[in-house]
Amino acid sequence: MVDDIQKLRNIGISAHIDSGKTTLTERILYYTKRIFAIHEVKGKDGVGATMDSMELERERGITIASAATHCEWKGHRINIIDTPGHVDFTIEVERALRVMDGAILILCAVGGVQSQSITVDRQMNRYKVPRIAFINKCDRSGADPYRVVDQLRQKLNLNAVLMQIPIGLESQFSGVVDLVSMNAAYFEGPNGEEIRRGEIPGEILEEAKIKREELLDAASMFSDELMEAIFDESVSEELIYKAVREGALSRKLTPVFLGSAYKNIGIQLVLNGINSYLPAPTEVENIALDQDHEEKEVLLETNPEMPVVALAFKLEVTPYGQLTYLRVYQGSIGKGDDLFITRTNKKIKVGRLVRMHADEMEDISRAYAGDIVALFGVECYSGDTFTNGHLSYSMSSMFVPEPVISLAIIPEDNKAQENMSKALNRFIREDPTFKSYVDQESGETIISGMGELHLEVYVERMKRDFDAEVVTGIPQVAYREAITQEAHFDYIHKKQTGGAGQYGRVAGFLKPSEKGGYEFINRVKGGVIPTEFLPAVDKGFQSCLKKGLMIGFPILGMKVTVNDGKSHSVDSSEMAFYQAAIGAFKQVYLKAKPVILEPVMKVSIEGPSEFQGNVMASINQRRGLITSSTEDGVFTTIEAEVPLAEMFGYATTLRSLTQGKAEFTMEFVKYTKVPESIAEELKLRTREKSKGEKRS
Amino acid sequence: MKDLISVSPLKILEKSSRKELGAGNLGVLIARAGVGKTACLIHIAFDKLFRQEKLVHISLEEGPEKVTSYYNVMCSDFVRALNLTDDYDEYRMLVERNRMILAYLNQSFEIERLQANLKNLAESLDFRPDVLIVDGLDFEKAERTIFEGLKQVAEELETEIWLSALSHRHITDVNERGIPYPCQQLDDLFSLILQLQPETSGIFLRLLKDHDNPTIPDISVRLDPSTFLALDKPDLPKTRT
Repeated sequence: MVDDIQKLRNIGISAHIDSGKTTLTERILYYTKRIFAIHEVKGKDGVGATMDSMELERERGITIASAATHCEWKGHRINIIDTPGHVDFTIEVERALRVMDGAILILCAVGGVQSQSITVDRQMNRYKVPRIAFINKCDRSGADPYRVVDQLRQKLNLNAVLMQIPIGLESQFSGVVDLVSMNAAYFEGPNGEEIRRGEIPGEILEEAKIKREELLDAASMFSDELMEAIFDESVSEELIYKAVREGALSRKLTPVFLGSAYKNIGIQLVLNGINSYLPAPTEVENIALDQDHEEKEVLLETNPEMPVVALAFKLEVTPYGQLTYLRVYQGSIGKGDDLFITRTNKKIKVGRLVRMHADEMEDISRAYAGDIVALFGVECYSGDTFTNGHLSYSMSSMFVPEPVISLAIIPEDNKAQENMSKALNRFIREDPTFKSYVDQESGETIISGMGELHLEVYVERMKRDFDAEVVTGIPQVAYREAITQEAHFDYIHKKQTGGAGQYGRVAGFLKPSEKGGYEFINRVKGGVIPTEFLPAVDKGFQSCLKKGLMIGFPILGMKVTVNDGKSHSVDSSEMAFYQAAIGAFKQVYLKAKPVILEPVMKVSIEGPSEFQGNVMASINQRRGLITSSTEDGVFTTIEAEVPLAEMFGYATTLRSLTQGKAEFTMEFVKYTKVPESIAEELKLRTREKSKGEKRS
Repeated sequence: MKDLISVSPLKILEKSSRKELGAGNLGVLIARAGVGKTACLIHIAFDKLFRQEKLVHISLEEGPEKVTSYYNVMCSDFVRALNLTDDYDEYRMLVERNRMILAYLNQSFEIERLQANLKNLAESLDFRPDVLIVDGLDFEKAERTIFEGLKQVAEELETEIWLSALSHRHITDVNERGIPYPCQQLDDLFSLILQLQPETSGIFLRLLKDHDNPTIPDISVRLDPSTFLALDKPDLPKTRT
């Protein structure tokens, strides 16, 4: 079993959009004999690449949801997660990297290190993922892999070292020189499946020698043995592999491979690179948090004999039920086993256990530590940890950014309404960055997520996968209201117009709450409000919190003290006191000088330092307060606090300001009072809206 | 505000020749590791921020998050020590509105880069600092040109710059003007040199250089080791030439 684990590789493939991730994966599957024909992304055969299993992905030629697959290469089993390239889907990339032990960073030989490569590289650093780089599209006009290697060093601060040099470039690109074995490799046969080794062409021999020296210099930093061998001129291939592996696993060296996935050049050598330079599960440190001991960190062992700990990192809805992708970190999982979800302590029974291959699957009876598999029909959420019930471990939480944009969606008809609910229910389970709720006021369904494209894709999926046609509104900010001073109320609710009457008097005062939430304080003496009616008074005030009287948004931080009142022996009831509280609130609210609060986001913008001035100016224009700027290598990170209302469309602005080289993340930090001019504008808008509603 | 100044470590300057560092000048605070250089620098920062002066805190070791949290803790201790807790939000707002943190990690600090960053602050945000605090500059490794560059920045922007310098117990070098390591070869560039020293009765801040004044009054301020605020009866007036 240990041998098997040593020969297991869990890898992610990530890169800038359109760098050829899916094309590379397609070749890997072909050469490892998982598939028997190559289908191109947007190919003329109309089949689409194997990993782009969602119809929408095949149509647009982009990968949206990660698909998992596995293959075998030279005695090693490789689990691959193909990840999306677009920035709005970074949660998919993050999730993939969370469970991966190593990764391939794909770069375009023409485009070089692009903004998304920088994002992905940063994500890989966050999860301490060792990687190899593959410079794709060496056959394209303008291809310059040497420039890309320089960019890897300068822009990403990687100690990038070429493992190969190209034989020809652009349309003349015909193979690579392997700098370890010092021979040329050509890829022949209909799909490049036959590797022909040969002499290094004379015109690039000197170049190859120079680059090999560079490789040896870099690798020898990780092996004294290699350093000695260089002096003794007795360098063996084995020594180079060992040293490069050491450097790559410690993330201090990034081996760089070259090729063209589309032209079937160089892929088998990348597969060799995966086996040689990326870690086995046992070589990676995985930490769980012990919930019984104040989240103390516990080091997991990639040992099948230990109690099981596994993480659900992705959910997918299939026609046969929910499919849960699982990474087993410790122990093993077999068909029929009982597992417990740490979050809910709920027991589940393992029914079908499968190994995934894009949207096809094969049944297996047991999965061991280090493996990536999928469970069928298990009710859980993405990010849930599974144990045997004796351990209360939770895997360190995945970085899940808060949604930043909300949109109202209105189903076109009853059928769409029903299907929309089904769709939302599924999306929420699949994607922690996607949220949905029904606005009590308007009755509209609100969806929120990480960006406009993110929501657009879900709206599109509703239409395509669930037959739910919806109309979308404009992006919305979640405002709040809050009172700023104490104000007293004394209100009588009286209704005596035939039949049973209603009577209730409540008196007291409202005050801003220091705790920030709602507080109800009963100071009623002498039973002037009978005890059984006090909960109704409390509920009446609470019902008012949902909608402030200024612009109709929820109220934050209000303390209600009731200290007097009156009841009627016949006409008082829970309903009467409930209504009395509502009347009291309406009577006093505006006297408590309410203000409008807006959500303020902590915004972090990272990009090349040359754009610092532009970025700062753009934040300043958005009522932002810049708090810091950090220089690190060639990058600058600017931290600021900016009202959410000012951040719509910022992704586009930032892209154009920085040639697409900067990216930003934001998360909610606090509510603050909106400036007077904006408050007036919001009040005016509310008045106009309510006039319109009355008219209609 | 006057009350606040009376407890600031900068009280030491009340008896100095110019009572301040002054625009265009560099000042340095020398201390051994762990004595409280950063805390003392932050008090110098408070002294400026609470007068609504604009300040840039330049950190060469810590990221902005840590610097911010340091300011927050010190601000909270400060208002508590002076029984000003009701005004905490106001003081905190003064800090947040008037302070900018520039962090330079992994040897990213260069004078040209600082100049470019300060230019961006001025042009894009209209943020023109009155004071720069530079914390974490390695005096042992830094070339003299760095200090000359800082002096040039101070002069060009008409700002004053305070730095912290790490001394070591085992290095006892002192130049003929009484200036210790690591400033003994740089004292011509600094207008004020202060030294922070832990003693049995508390932490003392001493003035070692006072602009061009050849006669330096032996002024020291005793600081509360927990809050770094100046304690009563701090002065030990002596004269040294």
